[in-house]
Amino acid sequence: MKVTETMIKKRKVKDRVLQTVTLISSSISVLILIMLFFFIFQKGAGSLSFKLLTDDYWAKNYLLDIPAEQTGTYVKPANLPTDSFWSVKYGFAVTDALSHEKQKLILIEYIDPASPLAKMTDASSGPNFGKAQLISVGMQIQKIGYVDINGDTRSAGTIADQNAKTLVDTLDSSALTLNQAYIKTTGGGIRGSIVSTFYLILISLLLAVPIGIMTAIYLNEYAKYNRFTPWLRSSIEMLTGVPSIIYGLMGMVVLYPVTALFKASGTSILLGGLTLSVILLPTVIRSTEEALKVVPDNFRDASLSLGANQAQTIFRIVLPSAIPGILSAILLSLGRIIGESAALIYTMGTFVNDSPTVLTGGTSLAVHIWSLMSGEQPNFALASAISIIILIIVLVLNISVKLLSGRLRKTWQ
Amino acid sequence: MENIFEIRDLDLYYGTNQALKKISMDIHRNEVTAFIGPSGCGKSTFLRCFNRMNDLIPDCRIEGKMTMNDTDIMSSKLNVVDLRTRVGMVFQKPNPFPMSIYDNVAYGLRCQNIKDKKVLDQIVTQSLKKAALWEEVKDRLNENAYKLSGGQQQRLCIARAISMEPDVILMDEPTSALDPIATSKIEDLIQELKRDYTIIIVTHSMQQAARVSDYTAFFLLGEVIEFNTTKVLFQIPSDKRTEDYITGRFG
Repeated sequence: MKVTETMIKKRKVKDRVLQTVTLISSSISVLILIMLFFFIFQKGAGSLSFKLLTDDYWAKNYLLDIPAEQTGTYVKPANLPTDSFWSVKYGFAVTDALSHEKQKLILIEYIDPASPLAKMTDASSGPNFGKAQLISVGMQIQKIGYVDINGDTRSAGTIADQNAKTLVDTLDSSALTLNQAYIKTTGGGIRGSIVSTFYLILISLLLAVPIGIMTAIYLNEYAKYNRFTPWLRSSIEMLTGVPSIIYGLMGMVVLYPVTALFKASGTSILLGGLTLSVILLPTVIRSTEEALKVVPDNFRDASLSLGANQAQTIFRIVLPSAIPGILSAILLSLGRIIGESAALIYTMGTFVNDSPTVLTGGTSLAVHIWSLMSGEQPNFALASAISIIILIIVLVLNISVKLLSGRLRKTWQ
Repeated sequence: MENIFEIRDLDLYYGTNQALKKISMDIHRNEVTAFIGPSGCGKSTFLRCFNRMNDLIPDCRIEGKMTMNDTDIMSSKLNVVDLRTRVGMVFQKPNPFPMSIYDNVAYGLRCQNIKDKKVLDQIVTQSLKKAALWEEVKDRLNENAYKLSGGQQQRLCIARAISMEPDVILMDEPTSALDPIATSKIEDLIQELKRDYTIIIVTHSMQQAARVSDYTAFFLLGEVIEFNTTKVLFQIPSDKRTEDYITGRFG
């Protein structure tokens, strides 16, 4: 058959069209990624700070009595920042700031050791009543109560819609004596969630990695030609497709009694870790198996021909050679732990815990986002800031996986 | 002449496929026996019977009789690990473990729970000397074995096999991955090792078989066509097929 001019043209057009379609598709996927990053960074970058990582989430409130002895003239220290305001009469400096929720705050910048604010006592009834309560730089002044020239009790601070400058001005000009202060820590930080995530990683990896590696060794080395191995393998593969919320339900019902043995009541990080380790197992098994398959058979042959038994061959030769692959399996699991939320809502709870322990509830970073957004006043900025942190962690993990697997390939070329 | 191996009517099947047919042969002690033949004729499969490496292959079934020093080595009661310490093996592709030169040679001993540093040092030195590698590596025993050249790696594998002080060394095309200079070094080494060990070598190169071996077996389609002293087999082959093969008419 003769190839005509029109046939050639048709072929060319078809080629062009297909090329364009693939180009458009790939542009769309890249665009989505860029949009995601741009959106999250734009919303969250403002709330991102080192303080976010170290602060508690819940603010602590202090209602404090200010001692009667307070007259004096205080000298302003030379090294105070320029944007702070100094109260000559009461000896403290304050500055304006925004909270993680973008609300205006008056933060304490400096307190003179002789200032009445340095000698306040707890005013709330309870075991600490009357005890000295030191307040520190960085806390916010909600309210300072004072008595003016007319003998009236008045309030200054954010509660009276004041900023740092007007607060200092009011106290210095019209306050005769100060009587009570309402001081708050800033809060809104994610230290507790970071600690919870760390515990979660520790527990789930500690369980999933050894069990997963041993299973992979059994499947790939000992039971290689066993009739049941293909069955076992495909059921493990199926486990990877189960939605994690089902694992969460299972964790709540099946694994809860296990955590109860350790005296954990209700949701706990231990329960979350156990559930996550079940979720991780299939991934760890699969990737370890892949890593074991890459180990050349002639290593096994050489070892066996030297009179080593199978266990010696596996644990002295095969497993050490598979370590880079196993490491990348662990990194993949880390990504999964950090990203998981559905299974943890049932098992670890959604209450942000500032001082989590293994046996109490807490939130991982991802669940912290859920918890921020599911309240009555969704805090989008803070949620985005946490998202940035998670994205950065995932990015670092991905790069590490690439580097590791690159090295793995190099070893046996 | 003393026989170390006696093989009678050995059949080997992979599933239903018969790979070796009625093989009978005597292997003499402290001689070099070469197996030659075209690819897929079963010579490597047969070699792997001597240290039971075929055990690792599923669906592999062996019938017949094979004895080493009058002990049945096909018996299921035989301690295979023990057999493999007496029958060492060197593979086609140099396959040192990804560890130091020293650790490679000491590996087999350590697997036998020999941990005395002095004993290990002595055997490692001695094995490397016997494998004609000592002079080249004595200053860098702790370097990774993969830093050695291909020929050195193969001699390291020979040293590793020698470290177990075996009676027999099986070599499965030990020079097929090496250049001519490395090959001739290995061939010289085989002549040296012959004094202490029985050597069975599978080779694709008829010249190599003629150079290094005392006895040669010609394999074709799972059968031994001819087995004789190398001299006789190459000069006056009794079978037409052997003659065709060694004169290069096929294979």
